[in-house]
Parts: sequence; C-alpha cells; structure tokens
Amino acid sequence: MPLSRSHWLPRPALALCAGIGLRAEHCREFLEADPDVGFVEVHAENYFGRGGLPLHVLGRARRDHALSLHGVGLSIGSTDPLDDAHLQRLAELVARFRPAFVSEHLCWTSHRGTHLHDLLPLPLTAEALAHVVRRVDAVQERLGRTILIENVSSYFEYAHSTIPEPEFLAAVVRQTGCGLLLDVNNVYVSARNHGFDAADYIERIPRDAVFELHLAGHVRRPVPGGEILIDSHSEPVCAEVWALYALALRRFGAVPTLVEWDNDLPPLAVLVGEARKADALLAAFERAPSFEVDDALAA
Amino acid sequence: MLSLLETQALVADALRRGGGARVTALLRDANGIAAERRLHVYRNNHVAGLAAALAAVYPVTARLVGDDFFRQLARAYIARHPSTSADLHAFGSLLPAFVGRHESLAALPYLADVAALEWAVHEVYHEADEQTLDVAALAGVAAEAQTRIRLHLQLATRFVASPFPVLAIWRANQAAGDDAVATVSLADGGVHALVARQDFAVEFRVLGAGEDRFLRELAAGRPLAFAVPAALDVDSGFDFASTLARHLALGTFRAWSLADGDEGGVEGTA
Repeated sequence: MPLSRSHWLPRPALALCAGIGLRAEHCREFLEADPDVGFVEVHAENYFGRGGLPLHVLGRARRDHALSLHGVGLSIGSTDPLDDAHLQRLAELVARFRPAFVSEHLCWTSHRGTHLHDLLPLPLTAEALAHVVRRVDAVQERLGRTILIENVSSYFEYAHSTIPEPEFLAAVVRQTGCGLLLDVNNVYVSARNHGFDAADYIERIPRDAVFELHLAGHVRRPVPGGEILIDSHSEPVCAEVWALYALALRRFGAVPTLVEWDNDLPPLAVLVGEARKADALLAAFERAPSFEVDDALAA
Repeated sequence: MLSLLETQALVADALRRGGGARVTALLRDANGIAAERRLHVYRNNHVAGLAAALAAVYPVTARLVGDDFFRQLARAYIARHPSTSADLHAFGSLLPAFVGRHESLAALPYLADVAALEWAVHEVYHEADEQTLDVAALAGVAAEAQTRIRLHLQLATRFVASPFPVLAIWRANQAAGDDAVATVSLADGGVHALVARQDFAVEFRVLGAGEDRFLRELAAGRPLAFAVPAALDVDSGFDFASTLARHLALGTFRAWSLADGDEGGVEGTA
C-alpha cells in the first residue's frame, strides 16, 4: 500500500509564476539573462551523462531556480522490466538536484529492449491499469517520493480500450498516491485527433490530483480524410489551448505551470513571454489547496 | 482481447518494420482518418527523432555527405542498430563502423575516421568531471620508486588515430557557411591526437608517435618504467621530460599510483 499522499507529496512552495522548459541551446542565454521564471524543467535523460557542461549548467540553474525533472524514457507502461540502471541514475539526479517535481508519462517507449523514443499510448484496459499501478508504485518506492504522471498526446486509439483516459488517470492516482501533470495542449491535441470534448475531459480529472500543468504549441498536418494535430512543441500556445488552460485553472486552482518548447526554438525571450502570458492567468486564480509544504524543496 | 504484451509487440514491429492488417485492426478508424495514417505519425517521429540525434553528434560527417544522403544513412542505421537506451546520448556509437562498411561511401575513405573523431568528441563532452593531478604530490615519491609511478588519464579523454588528416577536416568543417570551407589535402597525412576537455570545452591535443604510445601505455595502467621504453621503441627522439611537463600543464592526468615493486620494469604487466 502506498503511503498517504499528504506524507509523500507536499505541494512545493513554488512562486506562482510559470516556468519554462530549459533546453541546451538556451542554457548560456538563460544563465546570463537570468529571467524571472517560477521554475525550470529539464528532460531527466538529457542529464544521464557522467559529467561535463550539461550537469554543471543544471547545477548553476538550480542555485537560483526550483527544478522539475521530467522523464521521457522510463517506459512506465512497457511490459519490459523496469530498467534498474535508469532508475539508479534518476535517483542520483534526484539526490543531487532536489527537484520540486519528478514526472513521467502515461505511455510506453520501449519494447524488448529496443527504445523507440516515442511516447506511445497504452491500450486503456484493466490489464494496463493494473500494470501501470504496479510500475508507478515500484518507481515511487525506489525514489522514495511521489511522482507525477502526465497524459500524452496521441494520434491513434486502440479499438480494445475500455476505460476513458480521465478515469484511467484518476484510478492510477487513487491506487498509487501519485499526482498528475496535466498537459493541456495534449488534451487538446488528442481531443481533436479522436473527436472527444477537451473541456469535458478536464472536468472529469479529480480536482485535487493535478500538481503541475503543461502548455505547448502544436502543428496541424493535413492528411487524407482530414487533419492530424501533431504535438510538435515548436509553436506558440494557440488561443484554444489558452482558453482550455483558463478552464483548467478554474477547476484545479493556480497550479505551477510550465511552457514547453523543444523544436524550432525561438529566442529565450519569446519563450519567457509565453510564460508571462500564463502568469497573467495564474494571478487571477486562488492557489491550489496545499498539503504540508516543505520549504526545502523550493528554490 | 489482445494482451498488453501482444499489443506492444505488434505496434513496436509496425513502427520499426511497417504495418500490416493485424496492427491496423487494433486501432480505431476515427474521424475518417485511416489507422495506417495515424501509425505513420509515430513512425515519422521515431525516425526523425533518432536521425536528429545522429545529426547532432555527427555534424561534420553529415556535412561531408550532404544532408539528404545523411538522412538515408541515418534511416539505414536506425533499422540496423536500434536504440537500446532511454538516454539518446548513448545512441549512434556504431555509426563510424557502419560508415566504414558502406560501399557507396568508398570514395570518402576518411569518413569513418571523421565519424570516430566526432563520437570521441561527444563522449568526452559528457564524461565524468575529475580533479587534475597535483604535480606537488609527485615530488614526495622516492627516487628509486619513480619508475613505478602510474599516471591515470582523465576519464574525459579519448585517443584518435587516423592515416588521414581528420583534425584538419573536422576544423575546416566548423565554419558556418559553405563558402568558408578550407581545402584540406589528404596528402597532409595522418594524425594521432588525444580528445580531451578544458573548462568543459572539448579540445584536441595532437600527439607525436612516441607521445601517443607513452600515453596509451599509461592509459592501460602501465608504469613509467614500461611506458617510457615503449615510447622510445616507436620514436627514438621521444623526450620524456618535456612530454610529462606538457601533459601535467594540460591537466591530462587525474591521479597517480605506484605499481607494486616487482611490477615496475617487467614487460607486459599492468
């Protein structure tokens, strides 16, 4: 049985100020400009090297900013065994950088030892739910802390899925004590790709389960029969996603929010500008109710 | 109903080798867009992401063959040597050998060595940080024990050796614009170098033949009593004192230790 969430997962005392994804190309400018952002988020696997400039720069950034370690390759949903070496390296990063959040995706990224580096959707079945619950439990036990699980954007759905995604996520939260990282853009992209109502999806996510929100841009690609939205992280956040974000803040309260931009990177100031837009919306809502706040976790 | 394992096996295979009715039957045809189209988004992401990772590690190789050819090369490499780690930085280690075996690249005989240089640069960039050997620590070693000194190289070092002027080729291809590419003559001959790091920046330390042999013996854990004669074997002009001074100043070493007494001058021991 997992420990109670209040013991495992305090809401970090982050300033109510949106954060940005920190990518290698922006590091130098980030350290020089020192923009006033709420926190920075990095892909954990980009720091699996043994040393050198990336880890040094992350240490510098961490001196002045709270950090979120965002995993993209643990393959929580894969039927492969959990990778001990991966968990070991992740645990070392957690110990060294004391992140406010550690997150991973509701997806699988590897099969029989081959890593596909794609956030592949799971069939949403009772079997997959039991599997994900066991794996989230194991990861939380190994790291000694609660993690956040993020909804992915998807381009197909399985015919044999039986559990709607919001209910699947809610069950994972209920059974493991983990929190959710709700990616508003992913909800929008998936809703458009599969024809469901994004606002309804958000209304079905438990009110107190969301600890972080993601915003990003996507592209629309025409295909025979219509169009597919691609979660490219290469564009500004679109108006529809901003509207959905406001809806999410109304439901979940002002939750730490991160703007992601990974491809066709703009100047850092443009990305910070996107975070400022999120700040303006965050300021209009009450902070999400807090559990025990541990100041040591904040910057 | 398909199990989770069966589902993942089918989808993984469809992404890597192309679909088929069994996998498309797994997926919903929603919104009038065929399942195969939907799968294709993932197939594209998969190849584009890994190809971008290769291009990031091998920019000079990509420039030498051209972006279009490099994309084909990357696609073939990904099919032959799939990624086996969640850490994308670990992907692509076999590209130099893959390039070397590629028949249509026989006209660029230096290409595999340029790729090997780029992989060495990549590894050194991400290697562990270590202290630099404090020269003063060596001063206390008794004169009769000095031949037993073993000098340990920084972990962030890799040897490169090529019969082609790969450093010159690499440097000539660092310029941003095509116009700025300098001409390199293959007649300039080969090079031995140590790829190393100074203040987190990767640099090349060109090595003489004796110097190269000396450092390689040290890197293999052999003491001075073995490394110095080995260097003199390949280069009778090898100058131990100036070579040691150079690499102490460059910070090539991270630590020292003493070989056992009976190990010092015995050939073949490490």
